[in-house]
Amino acid sequence: MSSSLSTYAPKKLQRRFENKEKEWIRSDNRGFLQCRPAFLKTGSGNAASGSAFAEFGSTKVIVSIFGPRESKKAMMYSDIGRLNCSVSLTTFATPVRSKAMMGFEQNEKDLSSMLYKALEGVIKLDTFPKTTVDVFALVLQSGGSDLSVIISCASLALADAGIQMYDLLTSVSVARVGNNLIIDPTNEEENEQDGNLTIAYMPSRNEVSQVTLTGEWSTGKINQAMEISVAACFKLGDVLRNILRESE
Amino acid sequence: MAGDEERDDTITTPGEVVGHFSSLIPGRGTYLCHKNHRDIYASLTGHCKITPPSPTSTDKRSTIEIVGHKSHGAIPETGSIVIARVTKVMSKMASADIMCVGAKSVKEKFSGTIRQQDVRATEIDKVDMYASFHPGDIVRALVLSLGDSRAYFLSTAKNELGVVSAQSTSGSGDTMVPISWTEMQCPTTGQVEQRKVAKVV
Repeated sequence: MSSSLSTYAPKKLQRRFENKEKEWIRSDNRGFLQCRPAFLKTGSGNAASGSAFAEFGSTKVIVSIFGPRESKKAMMYSDIGRLNCSVSLTTFATPVRSKAMMGFEQNEKDLSSMLYKALEGVIKLDTFPKTTVDVFALVLQSGGSDLSVIISCASLALADAGIQMYDLLTSVSVARVGNNLIIDPTNEEENEQDGNLTIAYMPSRNEVSQVTLTGEWSTGKINQAMEISVAACFKLGDVLRNILRESE
Repeated sequence: MAGDEERDDTITTPGEVVGHFSSLIPGRGTYLCHKNHRDIYASLTGHCKITPPSPTSTDKRSTIEIVGHKSHGAIPETGSIVIARVTKVMSKMASADIMCVGAKSVKEKFSGTIRQQDVRATEIDKVDMYASFHPGDIVRALVLSLGDSRAYFLSTAKNELGVVSAQSTSGSGDTMVPISWTEMQCPTTGQVEQRKVAKVV
């Protein structure tokens, strides 16, 4: 296996799904439109104003809410409240203990700013002027659809903390692998995807707070993916409401 | 008492429709959506409470609000009575840390300022800050406004507002007893010190 060192070409990624015409088979035997079983729980009773834990298959996230509390003195006066989001991954969250992994585009800063944009549309900031609400999300295990799980968990924690919101926020992501649309992708499926659609949706008001679209899409597929994800978000909204009712 | 307010037994979550604008006024924890049919939505998790209108008001609708949720610690609002601890006294103002709002304590302290003109109601330009407050005093004050980026503006310009508890600067450090609306006395040494004292009933 001698190679002349005059030129360099990166090694072609070994992709499992070479033939795009075939049907994708999910490794955990779910249907294409079937989300992973979800376990969510609120309440911590410690220094945080509110908190929630979410486990969607192998993705596990804890979100704690602090506030409304005094803004830093250096900040300018503001008539409406401020939101501060921070997402961090634990060192054992991913199989390889490294931030720069092949095929893993999102890092902590990206997730934080996307979480901020999603929550910005749903929290009633004018109910706590001059103060700041801090949202801290900790990803204990990253098993795919991380942003969606973080958003749903954060909205549950905010409701637990008593922060006024227009509605609960639920989020799912849909991956396009070849011609198939699969919902709630795992890590393995995200590595193979050609495109990803993540939406944050308000189930009771039928409004979308955030849409993130990456990869190659045709218009028809986007429509289909939106319908699939809105329907799933709707069902997830009922799950979240039941958890809030039972925790009282 | 039983006929005044109704409490629902089911728990409402944010985003649920709790009523219609034609029959209810949105109160705390609810908001009005103008987009469709003027529905009233909940914005908190808790129980609905419907309060009938006062007999003198012209609007005959009841008010709906969401109560009963373990809400976050209190935040100071304009017009609320707060308990604060004085941290710094300067010639024109005093800084205080707000610790309770009404009857609830805060989770983390907020910064407040008592300006010279807000200490008392009469002769406000002749106020001596050092004769009104000392660092460490506990005061009851009223929130005048949200203030600037640094602190809320507080006022003690009423009889029932001012210092409620203070330590003596003499050797003993005992809690002083008020003897008039401008003086407090240490019970063990008899030393009299000047404060703007609150009239506690």
